[in-house]
Amino acid sequence: MTRGDPGPNELVADLFRHESAHLVAALTGVLGPSQLALAEDVVHDALLAAMDAWRFELPRDPKAWLLQTAKNRAIDRIRRERRFGTLAPQLASEWALHVAVEAALSPEQDAQNQLAMMLSICDEGLSIETHVTLILRFLCGFSAKEIASAFMLDTQTIDRRLHRGRAHLKQLRRLHDVSDPARVRARQPSVLQALYLQFNEGYHGSDPVDPLQPALCADALRLAELLLEIPAASSAEVHALSALFCLNAARLGTRLDAEGVFLPLAEQDRSCWDRSLIARGLAHLSASATGEQLTRWHLEAGIAWEHTAAPSLAATDWARIAGYYDALLLLNPNGIVAMNRALAIAELQGAQAGREALLEVADDERLQRTPFFWGALADLDARVGLDAAAQRHFEHAVELSRSRAERVAYQRKLAKLRN
Amino acid sequence: MDDRPNGTDKRDRNMLKYMYIFRGGVATEPLSPTEMQAHMTKWYAWADGLGRSGRRLGGEPLQNTGATIRGRERVVSDGPYVESKDLVAGFMLIAAESLEEATQLAQGCPVFEYGGSVEIRPLLEGRA
Repeated sequence: MTRGDPGPNELVADLFRHESAHLVAALTGVLGPSQLALAEDVVHDALLAAMDAWRFELPRDPKAWLLQTAKNRAIDRIRRERRFGTLAPQLASEWALHVAVEAALSPEQDAQNQLAMMLSICDEGLSIETHVTLILRFLCGFSAKEIASAFMLDTQTIDRRLHRGRAHLKQLRRLHDVSDPARVRARQPSVLQALYLQFNEGYHGSDPVDPLQPALCADALRLAELLLEIPAASSAEVHALSALFCLNAARLGTRLDAEGVFLPLAEQDRSCWDRSLIARGLAHLSASATGEQLTRWHLEAGIAWEHTAAPSLAATDWARIAGYYDALLLLNPNGIVAMNRALAIAELQGAQAGREALLEVADDERLQRTPFFWGALADLDARVGLDAAAQRHFEHAVELSRSRAERVAYQRKLAKLRN
Repeated sequence: MDDRPNGTDKRDRNMLKYMYIFRGGVATEPLSPTEMQAHMTKWYAWADGLGRSGRRLGGEPLQNTGATIRGRERVVSDGPYVESKDLVAGFMLIAAESLEEATQLAQGCPVFEYGGSVEIRPLLEGRA
């Protein structure tokens, strides 16, 4: 290896996770969803074999190595278990199977395979939580344990969702058709919704130890951009969601300070935001403007852009942000949006007006269960001079905090208030 | 590394060659891709550390197949025929001041995570 090449650790970084997604989707696509368990086993075995063989040195082309190994193992198993009869008639000879598996595993088929898997997963018969769980398992290569930890749930809950999802996939005759725009469009909203949930879990995660999970965010963006590669799935709406992901991901690195505590936006070092992700987000944002519909992803991407483009908190275009929140509330009325609108109003019209707007939604039960609501209220209390209320509300935010990163951030504000 | 008062320039001349013989260390339990990636990363970090300090002189992984010839009759049999935990997976040649140091350097090897072992043998003609 010459100097300047990426080292083996960079090459291997997400290779196992991503190749797991690629291979499971490809094999399930070609062998049929009824062979999902076989596809999962074969891919797991191929990855374990890679782990054994690559310990001392990576092969020259790790992806090709894995592909070859997975292909051979799949065909071996089918031959050994005499499963030819359970496959589609056009795969029922060993030669035909070789050709079909080889074609399905080619990198050119990857986007299609993964999209077909994603569309099959996001069936209306399954809950959105199950959609996200299945996407994380099959298209991001996370284990049940890792998914449980990211969502602060027990492993049994995740296992139950995976079980339901596998049962659903197995009874399909084939994976979802990715070439028919009408069929693709019918599933698209649930796919985008699931990716949004996945991204948010990476961005304000509930994991008590690692509240930020950049891998969840990066994979949500990867899968959103994958939709753009398929003509039937590419739309202004997907560009808007990709823009939102890029613009938020660009700011991920400054969300925590050196001690791993959440930093308020005002204190984040804007010069550290990821320029290349911002440029990519802006390109998606321009492409999203071609659509006829203004979706919630357009509005959220617009808000993310205003924050990203502003030179400082004070120089942010709060009028425009408040306008986007107004429109968002009409499309998607919910407590979190109303809270964020109130915070924009506080910057635009003053803390008193913002506090009044926030108190209007204070009886929203879902909002009351988040530490963010109490933290936001306490900030505004303090700004209008209600120190006792601010103190009480910060204390409540501390109690509801899900991670040390959140807790210490509120404790610091509390300490500042007491001084 | 060397805190002996006058040992610094002697160090290179005092280096000896050792061979690490790796056995087993292959996971058999279900692992997630993340766990596999993390394990690989540890191997490369460990080997890279030995490389950067000039300790790693060479080495090769071995395939798990082959043949064995035994006895006066020279009976040839397929495969290494041992349990996977005893199967030699590869070797590495390193430079160290003493068996003690070579042992110390092997402590960080990730082969132990999945029940593997490292045998450390000084070379007969051992000047590095």
